[in-house]
Amino acid sequence: MFSLRGCGRRVAASLRRRPLSLGRPGSDSAAPGPPHFDVVVIGGGHAGTEAAAAAARCGSRTLLVTHRVDTIGQMSCNPSFGGIGKGHLMREVDALDGLCSRICDQSGVHYKVLNRRKGPAVWGLRAQIDRKLYKQNMQKEILNTPLLTVREGAVEDLILSEPEPEHAGKCRVSGVVLVDGSTISAESVILTTGTFLRGMIVIGLDKYPAGRLGDQSSVGLAQTLEKLGFTVGRLKTGTPPRIAKESINFSILNKQTPDNPSVPFSFLNETVWIKPEDQLPCYLTHTNPRVDGIVLENLHLNSHIKETTKGPRYCPSIESKVLRFPNRVHQVWLEPEGLDSDLIYPQGLSVTLPAELQEKMITSIRGLEKAKMIHPGYGVQYDYLDPRQITPSLETHLVQRLFFAGQINGTTGYEEAAAQGVIAGINASLRASDRPPFIVSRTEGYIGVLIDDLTTQGTSEPYRMFTSRVEFRLSLRPDNADNRLTFRGYKEAGCVSPQRYERASWMKSSLEEGISVLKSIEFSSSKWKTLIPQASMSVNKSVPVRALDVLKYEDVDMELLASVVPEPLRKYTECTELAERLKIEATYESALFYQLQEIKEVQRDEALQLPEDLDYLTIRDVSLSDEVREKLHFSRPQTIGAASRIPGVTPAAIVNLLRFVKTAQQRQAAAQELPPAKPCPPAAHTFQEL
Amino acid sequence: PPPRPLLLVTLGPHSFTGEDCAEFHVHGGPAVVSGVLQALGSVPGLRPAEAGEFTRRAFAHGKLSLTEVEGLADLIHAETEAQRRQALRQLDGELGELCHRWADTVTKALAHVEAYIDFGEDDNLEEDVLEQADSELRALEAALGAHLQDARRGQRLRSGAHVVVAGPPNAGKSSLVNLLSQKPVSIVSPEPGTTRDVLETAVDLAGFPVLLSDTAGLWEGVGPVEQEGIRRARERLEQADLIVAVLDVSDLASPQSRDFLDSIIASHGARGLTGSGQRLLLVLNKSDLLPPEGRSSRPSLPPYLLLSCRTGEGLGCLLEALKRELASVCGDPATGPPLLTRARHHYHLQGCLKALGHYKQAGDLALAAEALRVARKHLAHLTGAGGTEEILDVIFRDFCVGK
Repeated sequence: MFSLRGCGRRVAASLRRRPLSLGRPGSDSAAPGPPHFDVVVIGGGHAGTEAAAAAARCGSRTLLVTHRVDTIGQMSCNPSFGGIGKGHLMREVDALDGLCSRICDQSGVHYKVLNRRKGPAVWGLRAQIDRKLYKQNMQKEILNTPLLTVREGAVEDLILSEPEPEHAGKCRVSGVVLVDGSTISAESVILTTGTFLRGMIVIGLDKYPAGRLGDQSSVGLAQTLEKLGFTVGRLKTGTPPRIAKESINFSILNKQTPDNPSVPFSFLNETVWIKPEDQLPCYLTHTNPRVDGIVLENLHLNSHIKETTKGPRYCPSIESKVLRFPNRVHQVWLEPEGLDSDLIYPQGLSVTLPAELQEKMITSIRGLEKAKMIHPGYGVQYDYLDPRQITPSLETHLVQRLFFAGQINGTTGYEEAAAQGVIAGINASLRASDRPPFIVSRTEGYIGVLIDDLTTQGTSEPYRMFTSRVEFRLSLRPDNADNRLTFRGYKEAGCVSPQRYERASWMKSSLEEGISVLKSIEFSSSKWKTLIPQASMSVNKSVPVRALDVLKYEDVDMELLASVVPEPLRKYTECTELAERLKIEATYESALFYQLQEIKEVQRDEALQLPEDLDYLTIRDVSLSDEVREKLHFSRPQTIGAASRIPGVTPAAIVNLLRFVKTAQQRQAAAQELPPAKPCPPAAHTFQEL
Repeated sequence: PPPRPLLLVTLGPHSFTGEDCAEFHVHGGPAVVSGVLQALGSVPGLRPAEAGEFTRRAFAHGKLSLTEVEGLADLIHAETEAQRRQALRQLDGELGELCHRWADTVTKALAHVEAYIDFGEDDNLEEDVLEQADSELRALEAALGAHLQDARRGQRLRSGAHVVVAGPPNAGKSSLVNLLSQKPVSIVSPEPGTTRDVLETAVDLAGFPVLLSDTAGLWEGVGPVEQEGIRRARERLEQADLIVAVLDVSDLASPQSRDFLDSIIASHGARGLTGSGQRLLLVLNKSDLLPPEGRSSRPSLPPYLLLSCRTGEGLGCLLEALKRELASVCGDPATGPPLLTRARHHYHLQGCLKALGHYKQAGDLALAAEALRVARKHLAHLTGAGGTEEILDVIFRDFCVGK
């Protein structure tokens, strides 16, 4: 077991020098000792870059520590961003002024919105991305972000010190130790180590430690976390082989062309950097019984598949597809890796067979008969930390001011990582300046669902975002992410630029105005029918019909409405985005009316904060079953709402918890009634320390 | 004068919950209560309370002291348990099987629609995923509609179970009714066709409230009055929860007995118990007339009870059998009031049906899935299941999705 005294000693001195509860000590670069930052981010992947940039946007002096600067922004698996559910996350990251959406608008080579026919609530913005461009653009962005410093190095250990008494946790992090022995002190530390925690690459029967092909893994850090008492689990994932473009016979395959016009990811962009006609196509081919045969005959040469480490059910290797759904043909998408790349990424062909068998498998597929494999697919096994050990602000329960984001929390996907990165960056910065955390609720965003699922349910397989996980899917749409998050980001976190804030404000007020105008225009349904014969309305004489209700119909859009009622509707068609968003609002208006009550109920439960320091294992005079105590103790829900979503926590237990909420509220109320000279108990403690 | 209901309104914050409250005090027993509950359930925005919801609201509004909360948790625990037991009772048997089947249908259909939304573009889902879901949901809609229109189920608790005594003329139906009700309800005579109309009486049978009906003997009567009596008897048979079919054991070979066996008993057997839930007890009366060596060989009969209305022999067995049948028709009254559960049941089935209607009309797939989520949530209130994980499990079981 970890001994607090052992690692506390190193910091005792720094604790005395720097009374942390005073707030941010500022940049005392003149003082001797290790360099000091407000926020230190470890890892330069999709979570790390977003976290570092977000912390810097919030005004924190931030350091990004990465193995190699030239791998910042590396897309280590698929050459694409977005998709169904994932596109939603990117819009939300963008609404908080995050990076990946803007970088994708500058780096894509094939933009396509999925689910076009299924309704705007589930549209999936997606693009094939040029790996090289993405990396270049991301590095340019990161290296030019004010307040953000980048340093090469591997982190070996954390510096820990005495916990702040007013918060839960057995110690606090106050810096990091690099492999070369140097130290950096920090107010908050964010770990975004991806698959690097005891990462292991598997091809056939060969295994060697590495976080990603060609990169070393972090063992020291994994040990420290385990010693601290974090529950560690193991997950696996995989990536397909890469194929030489010129060796593929595309002429016999189905071609998929990009959208025209392209839909940008970012709210700030009206279009993307590349014209549709200059974009690259994708191609579709399929597996066949020969592929099945190669997989089934060689299972004994495939240790990744045999082992019990949990892999995802939804991004499965070709081996698990063949095993679970035998005698079926599976899709293989051939995706470009970039404008001037001669590689093709065969999506759907993630495999860990020995390399020569991979090549044999590839060449048995239609269109790939003469294909040359440039490098083989491989599996990765890595440690993750049970995400029930972190709060919705992504800070760990065990170690104060230590934040986790990305694959380390058991997720998969660039977008899931980026989403957590932004939230961790914002909260690490808020924590460093003693401000309240920034938490996105399930009722506000996919980010909220992602983090709430992780922190209350945990995960036993790599967690990926799906729209079906989201109960308020009709209100949490890609089109309105700015309305949901930009204002909060601007006011509460300070992570949003004034330009974005102004744009979102204009859009919000225009939408509200437009909707109320559409509600105010009322005609009989027979009049509407003569005006707009396309709309398949049922004629009901008695009730007047609002223009907003007419806009709901599939064949009606703002342009058409404005052509029959030019005044006052004409002006709402001048901005295409506004016109489209009005149409979407109309589509879901009545369904959302019914959902509003439910959203309010969830929000009411989430307003009921549970005390941070509640010890569920020992609280007495409460009848909680041992099972419920264990669950509450492990997940440490912060609100009644979160507690009620933990599987196995009963309504009776919830009422018992309500009691603690009330006690805490009463304590707070009592404290507020006292004259200002006598601060409330936690603050008083800080006061005495001074 | 007709009984007058009382409506008591208490305004927040001085009510029990701290919110504005209305209490309905009504007369007239289960029928009225059940009617009021159903009427309230159909008001938009009104729904039955969850376990412990009133007390929880009271607490949330600061109406309960902290010391009271301790007891409250126990109360909610008890209420939850009682509701669970009640729901289990309700779900035990035919109706429960139906509910689970319906919930499975909706879950599967929803999972398939969700799979089509989340994976339809990237993965090769079968083309007909949506069509399949559509046709299964159409069938479900029809089944639910039929179930809800089945007035009998609502009737049962209002005025007790309907037990109809039927049989060929002169089998001793009226004697049995008089015997069971312990009072002379019907005129008894050895002349066939004595009972011409349906005579009913409310009795307590083995602790269950029962509406016992005596009917005209089923035969091709001559006069218009007799024929009307027979028409009414058949109508009453249609509505019965439990048919007590009475035959003269000494007269099983007569054309009237054969006719009755062929039409009523055989058709009932073919329909089985699952179709309408109607139950049947076959009673062979006049056992005292049997020769001591037993009855000679007969066409094969379903299980039956032997009875002599004259001597009372076999009455004990009949009462036992009635008790058993009634318990499954009504639910056991000793275990709690099923009335509220039934109102809740009705409310959620109605809600589910309405949501299925929205599904059909939905303009896009996201709206269609939303309607199914609502439908599923209603059924989940009855069956207990219903997490998101379950949907994902179905998706990953039924489809090979992933890149």
